[in-house]
Amino acid sequence: MIEFKNLSMTYPNGTKGLKNINIKINEGEFVVIVGLSGAGKSTFIRSINRLVTPTEGELIVDGEDILHHNGRSLRELRKKIGMIFQNYNLVKRSTVLKNVIAGRLGYTGTLKSIFNIFPKEDMELAYTNLKRVNIADKLYNRADELSGGQQQRVSIARVLTQKPKVILADEPVASLDPPTSHQVMKYLKQINQEDKITTIVNLHFIDMAMEYADRIIGMRDGKVVYDGPASEVTEQTFEEIYGRAIREEDMRGGEEDE
Amino acid sequence: MSNRIPPKPKSTAKVVKRLIITIAVIALYVWTITSINIDWGKIFSQRTIDNFGRIIPKFFDPAFEETGTILIKMIETIFIAYTGSLAAAIIAVPLAFLCATNMVRNKFLNTIGMWILGAVRAFPEIILAIIFVAAVGPNPFAGVLAIAIGSTGMLGKLYSEVIEGIDMNIIEAMEASGANKLQILFYGIMPQVLPEFLSYAIYRFEIDVRASSVLGIVGAGGIGTLIKFAYSNRNWDEVGMILLIIIITVTIIDQISGYVRRRLV
Ligand SMILES: Nc1ncnc2c1ncn2[C@@H]1O[C@H](COP(=O)(O)OP(=O)(O)OP(=O)(O)O)[C@@H](O)[C@H]1O
Ligand SMILES: [Mg+2]
Repeated sequence: MIEFKNLSMTYPNGTKGLKNINIKINEGEFVVIVGLSGAGKSTFIRSINRLVTPTEGELIVDGEDILHHNGRSLRELRKKIGMIFQNYNLVKRSTVLKNVIAGRLGYTGTLKSIFNIFPKEDMELAYTNLKRVNIADKLYNRADELSGGQQQRVSIARVLTQKPKVILADEPVASLDPPTSHQVMKYLKQINQEDKITTIVNLHFIDMAMEYADRIIGMRDGKVVYDGPASEVTEQTFEEIYGRAIREEDMRGGEEDE
Repeated sequence: MSNRIPPKPKSTAKVVKRLIITIAVIALYVWTITSINIDWGKIFSQRTIDNFGRIIPKFFDPAFEETGTILIKMIETIFIAYTGSLAAAIIAVPLAFLCATNMVRNKFLNTIGMWILGAVRAFPEIILAIIFVAAVGPNPFAGVLAIAIGSTGMLGKLYSEVIEGIDMNIIEAMEASGANKLQILFYGIMPQVLPEFLSYAIYRFEIDVRASSVLGIVGAGGIGTLIKFAYSNRNWDEVGMILLIIIITVTIIDQISGYVRRRLV
């Protein structure tokens, strides 16, 4: 369980990223966060694995307030939380397998990992996860030989190999075309359901949010302005969250192309 | 509808500035040439022409019988360059990380690193060679030290630029997965920088083969030793042979290294 208690975040330059957030995210939920650019979605997500450090309040993950973690305790926290990025963030010159096994680094001794010695189970886990996202045939390809959608699937396999309790995804489909976007979202949803991993995704597209989310959190100007089950959300809700009429660019579309 | 780009605005201040710079540069040349007292008469004298007539043909009639001895010294030269640039390629790594502002987030330490690299770059190899010949005696080891120190400055600078150009998002992704700093170094940073590091090191080796060819003139080993002897004895045919071998070797090494470097990145 993740709980935000009166959480605020002010960036060093004085910008307020989060303003007094109070929210609970339950285990196994698939939450989609929506909001206009600059609403604070990334700040929200990146607080949970402390890529940014909120300045006030409490943030409870797995029963601990994580705001004061550092060094070893911070790494222990991050082992439990996988993250997926808009630009995949794979090491382009390394093989797919090496990128995926990197998900185990947090569990592996420094010396062993430097010499590339991973337990057999870990290697098998990496391979199994590549099979889960249907890309096992690219095992020994360099990451830069893959398409965007394939790279994102590799990054999902990397996160799975980390065996996380929570997966955070910051605009995971923003660089992909509509059919590939749906494919990636489907893998995330499937993993969420099969492995019961709490999943929090930032999305720009309201049709995708409605299709994949269990719960939608709407943000505007650093505040949570909507929180409810996806089934109760209508286009009107989005107009309230965005503070403007829905436009065509707010839709990803493309589901029927598949 | 016209799509013409509006003309670049001309400012008289700029034109005047350029004019002043041009005049200053010309004045500097005139002043230099008139003030260093070149004895033009001597340069274009009959004696110069005679000397050229005597020496130049010897260059083109190289002493092939010396090939064996010269080749051995050429190989020594290559070893000096290789050992020196290898040492530099390694010493430069920590210094480069110290200078890279995205690795060591401390302006003071960055500046110290830059200072060290700048200071070693300021010495020409031949000066370093003189210093090391004085320190360790007239042998190839002095040459190796001179090359190693001389190359560290340039490699460190180039390396640090490579490091500053890496994709930091990958580092963030690895941090987010709970990897520690050393693991990030080996999994996130090294794969991004190693091919470039190697490429620059090979390039520097190319330069070092040339540089170490002359180090022997001050007693630091290699083929320069032979150049010095042949030159002192006016054995121009031998000098010609040495030059021929240097040219061929350097060309071969340039070709090979060019090929390897193209395949690296
Ligand atoms: N490193 C930073 N330093 C200062 N201000 C920042 C920083 N990162 C974000 N901000 C500011 O914090 C606010 C929230 O930014 P955030 O990145 O969380 O928005 P977002 O909802 O993710 O937007 P987008 O959809 O464009 O990614 C914005 O006003 C932004 O300018
Ligand atoms: Mg964002």
